[in-house]
Amino acid sequence: MSAHSGQDRGGEAVRSGPGRVLVAVYGIFALAATSRAAVQIATRFAEAPLAYVLSAFAGVVYIVLTVALARGARRVAVAACVVELAGVLVVGTLSLADSAAFPQATVWSGYGSGYGFVPLALPVIGLLWLLRGVRRS
Amino acid sequence: MNGAYSGWLIGAALVLALVSVITAVRNRPMGPVLLAGLGLLELAVLAQAAFALADLGHVTEKATFIGYLLGTVVIPPAAMWWGRAERTRWGPGVITVAAFTVAVMTGRLLQIWNAGA
Repeated sequence: MSAHSGQDRGGEAVRSGPGRVLVAVYGIFALAATSRAAVQIATRFAEAPLAYVLSAFAGVVYIVLTVALARGARRVAVAACVVELAGVLVVGTLSLADSAAFPQATVWSGYGSGYGFVPLALPVIGLLWLLRGVRRS
Repeated sequence: MNGAYSGWLIGAALVLALVSVITAVRNRPMGPVLLAGLGLLELAVLAQAAFALADLGHVTEKATFIGYLLGTVVIPPAAMWWGRAERTRWGPGVITVAAFTVAVMTGRLLQIWNAGA
C-alpha cells in the first residue's frame, strides 16, 4: 500500500522515546482490564452484566491501543484513543448516575478513580502524543 | 504471604521508581544501577510469589490473586528488556512505570491476602 512508507517513518516517531512509556502503560492496562473482566465474567456475570461487558470492552480497547502504538499504526491508535476517551467519560458518568448497574468497579467507573484517574488522563496524553507526531512529520 | 516482607518490597519498588525518574530527568539511559535494581526486584518478587503460592488456601479470590502474582513476576524482566532496547531517557521512563506498577500490584496482593484472613 502507498500508506506503507509513510506509516514506517511516522511509525518510528510514534514508537520511540515517550511512545515506549505509553506502550508500557497501555500494556499494563490491557493486562489489568482484560484479566479483571475475565474474572468478573467467569465468576459473577449475572451480578452486573452491563458493567462487566463494558469492562471487557475496555480491555479490548487497551489491547488494540497497545498493539497499534507498538507497531506505530497511528490512525488505528488515534481512533482507539478517541473510543477510549469516550468510554471513560460515558462509563464514568453512568457509574455515578446509576450506581446500581455498577456494583463492582470497572476500570472506567468513576472516571477511573480506582486507578488514580490514569484511565482518564491516558487517552488525552495519548492523543497529544500521536497528534504532535503528525505535525512534526 | 508475609505482610512485613511485602511492605519492604513495596518500599524497594518505590525507591527503584524514584531512581529511574531521576535517571530519566538527568537524561541518561538505563545504567548498571537500574539493571541491578530490576534484577533484585525480580528476585524479591519471585520469593514473594513462592511464599504466597505455598499458602494459597488462605486466599478466597484465587484467580485475581494469581493474576496479580503473575503480573509482578513478568513486569521487571519486561522493563529490563525495554531499558536495553531504548537507549534514551525513555528507557528509565518505562522502568519507572514498571517499578511503580509492581508496588501497586503488591499493595493489591496484600489487600486480597488480608481480606482472606
